[in-house]
Amino acid sequence: MQVKEIDMRGQICPSSLLMALREINANKLALRSGVIRLSFLSDNRDSTATIPESAANMGYEVSVIKEADSYRIDVFAKPDEMEKRTA
Amino acid sequence: MSGTGECITAGTSLLLGLAAGFIMHRSDFCMAGMLRDLFLFRSTFKLRILLLTVLAIMVLIEAARQAGLIYLFPFPGFGSSSLANLVGGMFFGVGMVLAGGCVAGTLYKMGSGKIVSAVAFAGLIVGSTLYAEFHSVWKSFADTVRILPGKVTLAQFVGLQQGTVISVIATLLAIPLFRWWRAGKLVRSSAADGYLQPWRAGLMLALLVTVSVLIIGIPLGITTSYAKAGAWIVSLFAPGHAEGLSYFKARAFDYPNHLLGITYSGGPGPACDTISLIQFPLIGGLIAGGFLSVRLLGEFKIHARVPRSQYLSAFIGGILMGLASRMAPSCNIWHILGGLPVLAIQSILFIVGLMPGAWLGGRLLTGIVLKD
Repeated sequence: MQVKEIDMRGQICPSSLLMALREINANKLALRSGVIRLSFLSDNRDSTATIPESAANMGYEVSVIKEADSYRIDVFAKPDEMEKRTA
Repeated sequence: MSGTGECITAGTSLLLGLAAGFIMHRSDFCMAGMLRDLFLFRSTFKLRILLLTVLAIMVLIEAARQAGLIYLFPFPGFGSSSLANLVGGMFFGVGMVLAGGCVAGTLYKMGSGKIVSAVAFAGLIVGSTLYAEFHSVWKSFADTVRILPGKVTLAQFVGLQQGTVISVIATLLAIPLFRWWRAGKLVRSSAADGYLQPWRAGLMLALLVTVSVLIIGIPLGITTSYAKAGAWIVSLFAPGHAEGLSYFKARAFDYPNHLLGITYSGGPGPACDTISLIQFPLIGGLIAGGFLSVRLLGEFKIHARVPRSQYLSAFIGGILMGLASRMAPSCNIWHILGGLPVLAIQSILFIVGLMPGAWLGGRLLTGIVLKD
């Protein structure tokens, strides 16, 4: 799976959420089929709530990991969604 | 200026700022976001938290007032309303969205290492100082569009007891809040380390505002000192010009603190007066609170590689907020956490103006600043 990293550290609020939504929409097909995983790097603590909330509402799986001084928020297709598409 | 009363004032302000900065950082208590997200994302979560906070302050302050613990009411600094409050609120709304945070949000975010917030802070000082250049024109406009002279609060306007009006409004606010509480709509999950649920933060901030009212006599406010900082800079480089500006001779506060046995008197001029004792420690505390929180979490890191359009947005937003906080007069913290809970008409008008301002700010942010 290809990983696309988007560094949003230091950016103005609410740039992180807007950028994330834009990237998710722009990569919708690749995301749904499991070809790509979006990996957002953010130092905006609010994003650890808003991005997962929005991505989950759009039907994606999300993981959040703290990395040193920032958070890595990964958005990817749900396993069952991928199975359906590959079947 | 070195008596016990002065020391208690400065110490209280510093501790209040420190606690508020820490709490706001841990819970992402961004008041700019509370209104902005309503228009930008149709999200009302943060707004619900704001309503809870206002209700808590409303109840605490009214209880303190009924218990005879508040000597001066309405609070010093609140006066008759004017349509200038509304116009100021509108400009403030645009500014806080473009800056990525309000006057307090800018401070705790700056303390946590956000360079864009430091740029917004610089804009705030520039804007507050620029206001001095057209203060007399704006003051005459504000006087011309003055409404309801002599009526400071809604209760005074409708001719009822403050307690009666507060009881009715507090009950009306409590009903939806209770429903949201039962439906779990006041809680949000976050993966951030040391996350403080915003509803807890709101209640803590309500306590801090009440402590400020009980000890210092007024709610939290900081923007006069932005103008004061600007006045110092102007008087350093152009003392003659600073001397000639009428705004720098104005008095923002002049009231006795019966509890501490001192009188607070001062304004935006470049003098070290008692306003400095209240507001500068509060500003320093908010920055330090954000810094302390982020350091304890090990998340402090400065990331300066931000698109130029965002720096420009933060600076322009800061200028607009600085200007608007003098035009309104005062900022969102003063009006939303101080004036609205006592139903000050000035604050209600400021918030009415804040709404379209936040909407417009959101449009500018998405349409221009974050377009690419």
